[in-house]
Amino acid sequence: MSAADPSWGPREDLDVLDRDIPRVDGAVKATGRAVYTHDVRVPGMLWARLLLCPFPRATVESIDVAPAEALPGVAYAAALKEPGDEVRYSGEDGVLAVVAAETPEQAEDALAAIIADVERAEPVVSPEQAKADGAPIVNRRPGATSNVDRRNESGDEAAVEAAFAGAAAIVERTYEIPVQHHVCLETHGHVVEPIDEDGEVLVHASTQAVSGLPRALAGAFERGGRIRVVTPHMGGGFGSKFGPGREGAVCAQVAEATGRPVHLMLTRADEFAMAGNRSGSKQTLKLGASDDGGLVALRLDAERYGGVGGGALPRPPYIYRVEGEASVMSRIASVHTATDSSRAMRAPGHPQASFAMESAVDELAYELGMDPVDIRVRNLESPVHHRQLERAAEEIGWYDHPHHIEPGTPDETGRAVGIGFGVSVWSPGGRGSTCDVTVHPDGSVVSATATQDLGTGARTYVAAIVAEELGLTVDQVTPRIGDSSLPPSVASGGSVTTGSSAPAIKDAAHRAREALEERVSTVLEAPVGGYVWKGGRVMVRDDPDRSLAWIEVCALLREPLVARGQFQASLYEGNVHGAQAAKVEVDAMTGRVRVVKMVAVQDQGLPLNRLALRSQINGGMIQALSFGLLEQRSFDEQYGYLVSDNLDVYRIAGAQEMPEFVTIIDDEDQRPAVGGMAEAPVIPGHSAIANAIYNACGVRLTRMPFTPANVLEALYGKV
Amino acid sequence: MSENEPPPPETPPISRRSFLRGAGQVAAAGGLLGSASGERPQAESDSSDGVETLSGAIEISLVVNGAPRKVEVEPRTTLLSALRVHLDPPLTGTKLVCDRGSCGACTVLLDGEPAYACLTLAVACRGKQITTVEGFGTPDAMSDVQEAFCSKDAMMCGFCTPGFVVATHAALERRPDADLEELRYELSGNLCRCGTYPHVFEAAQEVQRMRGKDGSGR
Repeated sequence: MSAADPSWGPREDLDVLDRDIPRVDGAVKATGRAVYTHDVRVPGMLWARLLLCPFPRATVESIDVAPAEALPGVAYAAALKEPGDEVRYSGEDGVLAVVAAETPEQAEDALAAIIADVERAEPVVSPEQAKADGAPIVNRRPGATSNVDRRNESGDEAAVEAAFAGAAAIVERTYEIPVQHHVCLETHGHVVEPIDEDGEVLVHASTQAVSGLPRALAGAFERGGRIRVVTPHMGGGFGSKFGPGREGAVCAQVAEATGRPVHLMLTRADEFAMAGNRSGSKQTLKLGASDDGGLVALRLDAERYGGVGGGALPRPPYIYRVEGEASVMSRIASVHTATDSSRAMRAPGHPQASFAMESAVDELAYELGMDPVDIRVRNLESPVHHRQLERAAEEIGWYDHPHHIEPGTPDETGRAVGIGFGVSVWSPGGRGSTCDVTVHPDGSVVSATATQDLGTGARTYVAAIVAEELGLTVDQVTPRIGDSSLPPSVASGGSVTTGSSAPAIKDAAHRAREALEERVSTVLEAPVGGYVWKGGRVMVRDDPDRSLAWIEVCALLREPLVARGQFQASLYEGNVHGAQAAKVEVDAMTGRVRVVKMVAVQDQGLPLNRLALRSQINGGMIQALSFGLLEQRSFDEQYGYLVSDNLDVYRIAGAQEMPEFVTIIDDEDQRPAVGGMAEAPVIPGHSAIANAIYNACGVRLTRMPFTPANVLEALYGKV
Repeated sequence: MSENEPPPPETPPISRRSFLRGAGQVAAAGGLLGSASGERPQAESDSSDGVETLSGAIEISLVVNGAPRKVEVEPRTTLLSALRVHLDPPLTGTKLVCDRGSCGACTVLLDGEPAYACLTLAVACRGKQITTVEGFGTPDAMSDVQEAFCSKDAMMCGFCTPGFVVATHAALERRPDADLEELRYELSGNLCRCGTYPHVFEAAQEVQRMRGKDGSGR
């Protein structure tokens, strides 16, 4: 019966999409009525807390929870390690005990009453400690005899050296990037309700994988039950909230043991200790170019620091092209420490690769006396990047900037101004996702899919796509998301959500429309596919005077019409490009860097919601700025205490660090398909800032973050 | 109320001694292990010599969003916990993020001045007007700041948003004509991870325009 395949249609015909759409849950968020997992209050609910071992490595001698059990209001206390058990690393393996009480204050008292006796072992929190002779093996790979796993070795050394021999300019530096954190403002956790009489276990979860979480949690429940996960709102994930984590398993255990609802959300300190991170790295990158700026040889020796995890780093030459076969070699190792595993974090590995590669390309430009924009254009294949770099250069003021091919110097007050660049690519995923669109005889419409809105605006397009297809306004469609009992969708990782959900929603709306057109054809007598849906009416395409109002169309239904939509590859776009520029002021007296302006130019396929898209791009730039200027995890290496366990020590960018932003959606891109915009804009911002610092005052920052101390050291050497 | 004015008489000052007694329960619990009785500590209140001493759980009255609310707290209970947990029904719009006065997610107004509810003791708020994000508007009747947060997309995940809404109201009270630099300063007590700052500034400026136009603000 299908008259046509679903399509996004010509942009000029769009009434809802490709415009600024205020998010549909704005009002509940702005008035404090949005209920996050943290905010769930169920009658009889207990407040649970975890006791974490402060030492990364230790042997448990004893854990006595009896004193906690004796305290007022304490309903449950249990040791989660036995005497003789080892704590093998800081993080999930350091969970020693759990308590649950009638109030959070009583739970805190109970935690303090537990007597845990542990024998501290050598901490192994830094790569140096992990690589030292005789270091304890903290590598969890079975049979490992070293904390260093060599993997991803590629390229022929002799061939690469030969390629370097023909280079006109060669640069080589070592770049250091600390471990960074996601810092979701809502910490990880769950509220687990006891199994009900229908055998359902309701789990409120702060998760980016609503559809997948029931299966991931199933093993945590000894008594079984049908798990239903709900996440109406969640306070940030950034790649750290896919699985239930140790905290989810323990929450399930306490709920089963007590038969009561249990609220177990990590404290901020727990969150920093056990909820993941972006792996650090140390990259020695050697890069050669011919005298016209073409890259001809590359060698990367890199270490990834992902704790007990492997860490992430894409292979070189990353975004750029290096001429010639066999002109690239890389050795990438994972150095394991006894610290929490890295997790996926917004473009895993890419900001790290970007920093080294963009810095080296930039340095070659200055070596060769080339414009940093020109050398990028020379070595990037996509014409999309070329136009985006030129647009970014124009918007940042590059063409009016006094120094292009050699850096500036501080003026008499110590102030220096510079501009730098970086680019990004990402391949947003798209795969199986489903959606049900239900049209009721009274004219109401529900669009339902089990996706989650991490703050991206997903809930808004779940309604808006249907409104566009049926000629309605956004508020005429009720979006239902964040519930695993709805039609399944994907976990939100790798910018996959929009590319997966939006085609399924579009497909469902399209099917609903065709089914409605069948009914309408009995009245208006045009065939299915012969109608235009606009402004709350359906009109015969060739005779718009023959029309019905929306409410009249729905009155033709005897019962609700349900259309199931599936992911359609034809509606999805899998490649995006971006260019960013940063303008900085460096104070050479204090080492302080102030970013004064950032520009992003980003393509995207069809922008579903331009307002939310600009928010996403801003967010990427701001996180990159924050990584660049402020963020680093720090451990006390002697005892292994996590020093950066709250936002006073682990600093993230605030209002005062904000520059002027110019956020440009690249509308020269007219691809009629959609993709996600989570990762791409977070990739190059800090690289652009580093390059701007060089352009300002001639020092190359090789260690993140660009704190006053690191800038002063780069300027004047170690004091 | 100016900073130098003494608190109203219905709010006896909390002595440092009594504050420490409440806060010390956590540390003391370890020392009381053998004798922990399982009994709820007796509520005590002694207001001789003009200084009120409190310990244990007591019922107090708080004026939240204009309405008196009874709530049972201990001396160590923060205003944030009183609002989010102990009020019945609770008010969960005010968010707990750092619990250490670093992020501003728990910003409320106390007698019109912004305060971090995580660093404020509930018992110290008796007699004060407490305004939370819920007190500024409802989804169907939002304040001008809340409206502007929606129209400018000054929120993403939304977890910092209640704190920013309250802080923006306070900032525009204090400095109705604040320029962008001043807005950045006024809002520097609040952190956002998604990166909504530019849109928060736009929302504040939109409110300034609207108030200037219809005269309701100044």
